[in-house]
Amino acid sequence: MSAPRLPGALVDTGETLKFTWNGRQMSGHPGDTLASALLANGQRLVARSFKYHRPRGIFSAGSEEPNALVQLRRGAAQEPNTRATVAELFDGLHASSQNHRGSLNHDLLAVNDLMAPFFSAGFYYKTFMWPAKFWEKLYEPLIRNAAGLGRLSGQEDPDSYDHGFLHCDLLIIGAGPAGLAAALAAGRAGLRVILADEDFRMGGRLNEESYSIGDRSGADWAATACAELSAMALVRLMTRTTVQGAYDHGIYSALERCTDHLADSSGKPRQVLWRIYARRALLCAGATERSIAFGNNDRPGIMLAGAVRAYVNRFGVAPGRKVAVFTNNDDGWRTATDLLAKGVRVTAVIDTRKGGTRDLDGVRVDHGRQILDTSGRKDLKSITMDGGIRVEADCLAVSGGWSPNVHISSHMRGRPRWREDTAGFVTGGELPWGLSAAGAANGTLTLAAALGEGQATANRIAEDLGHAPDRTPLPRAEDEPFQITPFWHVTASTARAFVDLQNDVTTKDIAQSHREGFGAVEHLKRYTTLGMATDQGKTSNVLGLAILAEVSGRTIPETGTTIFRPPYTPVAIGAYAGRARGRDFRPTRLTPSHAWALENGASFTESGPWMRAEWFARPGEQGWRDSVDREVRMTRAGVGVCDVTTLGKIDIQGRDAAAFLNRIYANPFLKLPVGKVRYGLMLREDGFADDDGTTARLSETHYVMTTTTANAVPVFRRLEFARQCLWPDLDVHLISTTDAWAQFAVAGPNSRALLSRVVDDMDLSNDAFPFMACAEVTVFGGTPARLFRISFSGELAYEIAVPSRYGDAMIRALMQVGKDLDVVPYGLEALGVMRIEKGHAAGNELNGQTTAQMLGLGGMVSQKKDAIGTVLSQREEMTRDDGLRLVGLRPLERSEKLSAGAHLLNPGDPQDMAHDQGWISSVAWSPTLSHAIALGFLKNGAARHGEVILAHDPLRGRSQKVEVTSPHMVDPEGTRQRG
Amino acid sequence: MADITPTAPLGGHDARFGETRLTEVTDLALVSIAIPLGGEDALTSQLERAFALPLPDARTATSAKGRRLIRLSPDQLMLMWQDTDPDPARGVAAALDGTGYVTTQTGAWVALDLAGPLTLPALERVCPLALHPDSFPPGRFARTVMEHLSVVILNTGPDAMRLLSASSSAGSFLHMLETSLRNVSD
Amino acid sequence: MIIDHPLLGPRDAAEFTVLGDAALIHRPDGMAEGAEAAFHDYVYLRDNPAGLHRELWYHEQGDRSWLVVTRNTLTHEITEVALARDVARAEGRSR
Repeated sequence: MSAPRLPGALVDTGETLKFTWNGRQMSGHPGDTLASALLANGQRLVARSFKYHRPRGIFSAGSEEPNALVQLRRGAAQEPNTRATVAELFDGLHASSQNHRGSLNHDLLAVNDLMAPFFSAGFYYKTFMWPAKFWEKLYEPLIRNAAGLGRLSGQEDPDSYDHGFLHCDLLIIGAGPAGLAAALAAGRAGLRVILADEDFRMGGRLNEESYSIGDRSGADWAATACAELSAMALVRLMTRTTVQGAYDHGIYSALERCTDHLADSSGKPRQVLWRIYARRALLCAGATERSIAFGNNDRPGIMLAGAVRAYVNRFGVAPGRKVAVFTNNDDGWRTATDLLAKGVRVTAVIDTRKGGTRDLDGVRVDHGRQILDTSGRKDLKSITMDGGIRVEADCLAVSGGWSPNVHISSHMRGRPRWREDTAGFVTGGELPWGLSAAGAANGTLTLAAALGEGQATANRIAEDLGHAPDRTPLPRAEDEPFQITPFWHVTASTARAFVDLQNDVTTKDIAQSHREGFGAVEHLKRYTTLGMATDQGKTSNVLGLAILAEVSGRTIPETGTTIFRPPYTPVAIGAYAGRARGRDFRPTRLTPSHAWALENGASFTESGPWMRAEWFARPGEQGWRDSVDREVRMTRAGVGVCDVTTLGKIDIQGRDAAAFLNRIYANPFLKLPVGKVRYGLMLREDGFADDDGTTARLSETHYVMTTTTANAVPVFRRLEFARQCLWPDLDVHLISTTDAWAQFAVAGPNSRALLSRVVDDMDLSNDAFPFMACAEVTVFGGTPARLFRISFSGELAYEIAVPSRYGDAMIRALMQVGKDLDVVPYGLEALGVMRIEKGHAAGNELNGQTTAQMLGLGGMVSQKKDAIGTVLSQREEMTRDDGLRLVGLRPLERSEKLSAGAHLLNPGDPQDMAHDQGWISSVAWSPTLSHAIALGFLKNGAARHGEVILAHDPLRGRSQKVEVTSPHMVDPEGTRQRG
Repeated sequence: MADITPTAPLGGHDARFGETRLTEVTDLALVSIAIPLGGEDALTSQLERAFALPLPDARTATSAKGRRLIRLSPDQLMLMWQDTDPDPARGVAAALDGTGYVTTQTGAWVALDLAGPLTLPALERVCPLALHPDSFPPGRFARTVMEHLSVVILNTGPDAMRLLSASSSAGSFLHMLETSLRNVSD
Repeated sequence: MIIDHPLLGPRDAAEFTVLGDAALIHRPDGMAEGAEAAFHDYVYLRDNPAGLHRELWYHEQGDRSWLVVTRNTLTHEITEVALARDVARAEGRSR
C-alpha cells in the first residue's frame, strides 16, 4: 500500500498507475519515476551490489544513480541495468531486481561480502592464474557467470530505432534555471534554438527544490517558461532527450526516448539518435552531488541530500521518518529545512565544518563532527558519530558538495579546471568549438546567478550571431548561501567506506592502488575499476580522486581527472544501429530483369549491394549443379542470355578522351578506331593489376568504359582523381551510366540469329560486324540500343544494351523471340563456369595481389607511354620469367573434385610455405569437358604445361595430383568467338 | 514481332500519409551536359539560345519553359523536363550544336515527389542538410547521402521536394522515405 | 567533421571519402629518367604530421569534386578548403 503524498508534489495524485515489482503489485501516479513509486510503497531494498552483494537502496534521484539498477519490462523488450530513478512510471510497468542468486532479500551470494579481503582492488590480476589449465574449464566460466549485473532477454530487440539530423543556431544542453533563462533570451532574440533535457519534465532542480522565482515557485516558473518557449516557432523543446556527446565542429549527438514511458511502442521508433549541427552550444547540464566516504556508508536509506529533497518536494515522498543529515557545506542544510517544512522528523544535522553556530529548532545539530559508522544491514537503523554518539535514523541525507557536469565540455581534449571556492571542477582547457557553459555546470551554483548567467551568455551568443539581445529583466530570485569546506573521507572509520557504489570500490582500494604503484588517476580507475561502471562514476569520480590526492600527498589539480568520453549515459546498441538491421543494413540494387528473373525460378546471390541471379532452376532439377550444367550446355549449343547490367559503365567524352584512356589503361588506347571495342587492363600505381573491362569507341570523342561489378565505384573515383588532380587541363568528362542501360550478354552459336530478329536494319554478318565491333542501333522497331560484339563466355557473343526502363520488356522479348532457337537464361554461376573454361581472369584472379605478368598479360603493358602503374609494374621481381603465371589445372583422376584455395606443390616436396609453388584461384565443374577444372597461379607456369603436380588443401584434408594446362581449356584458338 | 515498352522503376508508385503524398514521377527526361574545358561561355550562350536557360550556380536550379537545369558537379549539368523519349540526349545534342557533351540519364534515376506537412519532419530523419526554408528555399537543390543512398534533393515549393536517386536501388529509396513518413506520422 | 566546400558550403564529412596526402597530386613523369625511384617514393613514402595536414577528399556523395583540405590532425580544425583542380593547376599540373 502506498503512503499518501506530501503536499505540493508534481505528480497527479488523481490518477493511479499499477505496476509490478518483483512480482508484487504496487501503485503510483503519473509523474512518478519507478524509484519514487518504490519509495512511496516503502520499498527501500532494491538491489545487491556488484562484488559483495551488499543490500542497497535508492541513492539519488537522477541519471547518476549507482545502486537502483533494475530489469525493466519483460519478454523481448526486457532491459537490464535500467536506473529506477529515470524510468518513468506507466500503467502496467514490470520491474525486477537483479544481481542476486535467490531472492533480493536472501541473496545466496551475500557470502561474497565475507570474502571481501580476497576481492580487493585488482584481485583478478593476482588470482585465477594457477593451475593454468583451470582457466578455461573452471575460472573463466565462474567469472563469466558472476560478472555483469542484469541479464539480457536473449531475444531480438522487438523495437525499431531511428536516426535524425537537426540544425540550430544554439543548442542548449539542460533545461534547469540557467538553460531555461538562456532559451528564453535566445528565443526572444530570434535564434533557432534546440533545448534538450534528459528528464520528462523541464526545469531541472527547479522541480526538486523549494526555490521561489518572482512570486512563483521554481517549478511554476519553469512551467511558464516552457509554455512561452513552445509557442516560439524557431524553438524546439526536446524532453526525454540526453545530449550524449560533443564532436568536431559543433556536432552533438542526442538520444531521444520516444516510447520508453509507454506500455507499447505501437510500431513507432522506440528511440531516435539525433545528430545536431549547432552553430553554438551552451552547456547548462547542472551539477551532480557527491557523497562522503565513511564506514558502511552504503546501506539502504543512505541517499544524496539533494535527492532526499527531490523525493520530498517533487514526488511528495518522504524517504524516511527519522532523517539525519551529514554535510560539509551549506546546501545540505536545505534538506533539513525542507523536511521540517513538510512535517518530516529530522533527527540530526551533522556538519563536518568546525566552529559553525547554526541551529535548527527541535533538531540535534553537531558542528565539527563526523559519522564513523552506520547500522542496519538491509535498512538503515542508526548512525554513529565520533565520540561514540549514536543517533537513530532510517534515512541519512549526505552532501559532500556538488560537481559541475562538465562531461560534454571535455569530450574534445578538454581537461576541466579545479575551483577551490566551490570545491569542484569546472570547464577548462580546450572546449569544443562554439561551446560555453552557464549555471551550475559552469560552477555558478546559486539560483539568481544561474538565471542571470544563462540569460547573459545567451545574449552574448545572439549578438555574436548578428541578433539583437533580449533585455527582458529576470524575476527576482535568491542566491542561496553556498559555502563548502572540502571533506572527503572519515579516516577514523574502520568499516569499509564506499566510494564507487556500483563497482564496490572502497577507500581501502584507493589506498592500496596507490601503494602498489597505480597512483596516476587513469591507473587508479583501471586498477580499482572506480568510475568504470554504467554510471561512469558520476557520484564517485571526484570523491575518488580527492581521496587519491590526499593519500598520495598531492593537490587535486595535480591529481587531475580521467578523460571523459561519450556517451554521457548508456545507449542501446539498437539506437546506434538505427535502421541498419537485417535487410535494411544497406541498400539493395536490383537489375532491370529482376522481376522477370523472380518469375522464372532464379536463385539470387549478393554481389556487393546487387542481387544477381546465380541460376534459373527448372522443374525436376535436383540441385544447382543440374541447373548450372544445363545453362552452360544450352548456351554453348544454342544461345544463352545473361543480365550483365551490374558491370560498371562509365561514359567518357571529350577532345582528350583518347589521351585520357591511354594514360589510364596499361595497354594502348590512342588508336582504337570508332566502332571498335578493346579489352583494357588497369593497373594500380604500384604496378599490380587493379581492374579490367572493355572500352568501346562510339565516336571521335565518345567512349563507354566497362569495369567489373565490384570495382565500378572505386574505378570511377580514381578516374575522377586522375581527371581533376593529375591532368586538370585535359578536356575529358565522366558520368556513370551503370544504371542508365540494361545490358544483356547474348552468347552461343545461335546468338547472331537471335539478334538479327531483334536489331533493326543491321547486317550482323561476321564481315559487317566482326569480333570487337560496336554500334549504336535500334531494336524492336525503333527503341535506341547499343550493340557490342564481345565475349566473356568464349562463344560467338554480343552484349546488347537498351535504356534501363526497357530492360524488363527486353528480356521478355528476347526469350519470346528466341524460343525456337532454344534460348536459355543463364546466371552468374554458368557465366563463371564458362569464363573459367575459357581461361578469362575475374575477381579471384584480380585480387590485388597479381600482376599483368602473372595473368599472362605482361605483353599488354606498353612501355612506349606513361600510364598508371606502368613504371612500378616493371620492377625486377614482378617481371621474372619464372614468376607466378596463370595456368589451367585438371585432376589427374578425372572424377575428382578440385579445391579452390589449394596450394600447389612439387610432388615429394615438404608441404610447407617454403616450398609453395602457387595456388588455385578458381574452380568449376566443366560440363563441356566433363571433369573439374581450375585456374591458378604457378611458379614458372608458362613453361610447365603438361606437368603433374600436387594440389594440397590442408583445410579440407585433401591432397591430389593435378595436371598443368593452358588456362584456355575450351576452344583455345578462340575460333567460336571470332566466327 | 514484339514491341518493347518502358517500365518505371517503382511502377508509378503513389502513396498517402495523412495529407502528405509520395508520388513517382514517371515521365521525367534527364540529360547530363558536360561543360567542355574552356567552353563555358559557348555553352552558356547556346543554352540561352536553345532553351532560354541561364547557366545555374552550384546550389540553385534555373528554369524556363518547363525545363530545369542544375549543376551536378563543377563542370557538369543536368537538364530535366517532362518527356518520355527513350533517348532524349539526341535532341539536346542537336540543340546544343557541339557546345556540350551529353548523355541520356533518364534510366539511371528514379524520381519521387514528396509534398505535404510531413515532408520536412520525414526528411529530418534521413537528410543531413538543413532543409528549413531560410537554409533551403524553393529552387535550391543539393546532392547528398540519405541512409547510404546518393540523393538529389530539389525544393519545388512550400513543403514540397523532388528527390532523385539511382534507379537500381529504387526499392531501398522508396522504403527509406516511407519508413521516415511512417515514423513521423501519428 | 564538417568540410566547408568552396562552392556548396558546409557539408558533413560523411558525404566524402578521404584519399590522403595532397602530395599525391604530384605524380612523377613515367617516361623521365629515374622514374622508378620517383614512383617508389610517390607510392610508398608519406609524411605523418601531428598538426597541419593537406589532404585530398572526394565528395563522392555530393558533387564528385576532389578537394584539398588543410586539417590539423590533432584538433581536426580545418583551416582551408579548395577545389583540388584549382590547387593542381596552381601547383603546375596541366595536361
